[in-house]
Amino acid sequence: MKATNRSLSILHAVVIVTATVAHLPRLAAQTAVARTASRGDASADAQWSVQVIQIDHGDVNLEPSFQIAIYENLLDELGKTKRFKQVFRDSDHSASNVSNLLILKTTVEQYTPGSETQRAVTTVTGATKLSVHSQLCTRGGHVVLERTVHGNVRFLGSNLRATHNLAHNVAKTIKEASLSEPSVSVSALVRSELDFVPSGNV
Amino acid sequence: MHLLVCLVLLICCGVATTAQNTSEATNVTAAHSVHVTHILGFAGAPNNASGTLSVQVDVLQFQSSGKPAVEVKLASVQDVIVGELSKQVGGLPMTMGKAAAPYGGGRVVSLFAHKKYDTLTVQYVDADGGIHGAIFQLHKGEGELFRNELLAKGARISQRDGDATRRRTEEVSSESN
Repeated sequence: MKATNRSLSILHAVVIVTATVAHLPRLAAQTAVARTASRGDASADAQWSVQVIQIDHGDVNLEPSFQIAIYENLLDELGKTKRFKQVFRDSDHSASNVSNLLILKTTVEQYTPGSETQRAVTTVTGATKLSVHSQLCTRGGHVVLERTVHGNVRFLGSNLRATHNLAHNVAKTIKEASLSEPSVSVSALVRSELDFVPSGNV
Repeated sequence: MHLLVCLVLLICCGVATTAQNTSEATNVTAAHSVHVTHILGFAGAPNNASGTLSVQVDVLQFQSSGKPAVEVKLASVQDVIVGELSKQVGGLPMTMGKAAAPYGGGRVVSLFAHKKYDTLTVQYVDADGGIHGAIFQLHKGEGELFRNELLAKGARISQRDGDATRRRTEEVSSESN
């Protein structure tokens, strides 16, 4: 009787192991499918492309190197977010063929030039502070997202580090914001706005 | 006799070729170059890389040690601006050392451990018309010289620089009054 019980339990164990081994590829395949689906969703999010326009310094007396550094860092950081299908530079001809294009306009609102030496000596003073107004809009001028973003260097790093921090914060804000999906109606609207020729000019 | 003539001709050709190579080498060394640190923006060059920035016949070239040279046509350069930058010297090791120094000794060191540099901001366009901006850090006084060299070779400057010059002129005239 004991021998029968033992053989039954061994048989049971063998059946369980066989069933598990047989189902492993199917489970792996299901996981792979799930991963593909989530990737598919991510690519669906990344339908917009973005074109970064050069930084407008507004009324602020901002050094040209800072303007360029913000612009270049923005391009870099926006590319890292994977939020957009493509990231275009200002005046890039190839952006004109892209239908779902957002335009990022950045205007400097405030700039406080700091000093790296002052920061190193006092720790609490000499911070470099930057504040910009960022606007994501369609070609037609419809504003999709509008935020004021700050970027500072308080302790370690050179003054230009503020531009990197600022661009990182702008990219983070855009990544976390929920942008409306590019619909056919929006692209059609944009195209119709572009194709529109006033009858008086014909 | 024929062999001797051929030999003489060969030697003459060899000398002529060597002379040509020497003249080419002289032309290359005549190109203006400065030692710079590429801060950001020059397409294809790594950020914060040290190297040589030079003006060749019609290109602006950045050569980092052990890396292939990256270049931009001078005709595509839209603007060249010289600025000023003050930085703490020594980088991260120095910063760590200053932080570890007792009785705030690091702060005293920081007072003297800074150096002024020139920055050279070059704005250019790529083949698609996209605007790029590159920032280089140069030794003090070299920025203006390099900018003049770029202008002499055909690079453009924008109105912004003219405005700055005008502002400086106005300041000088107001001070003299």
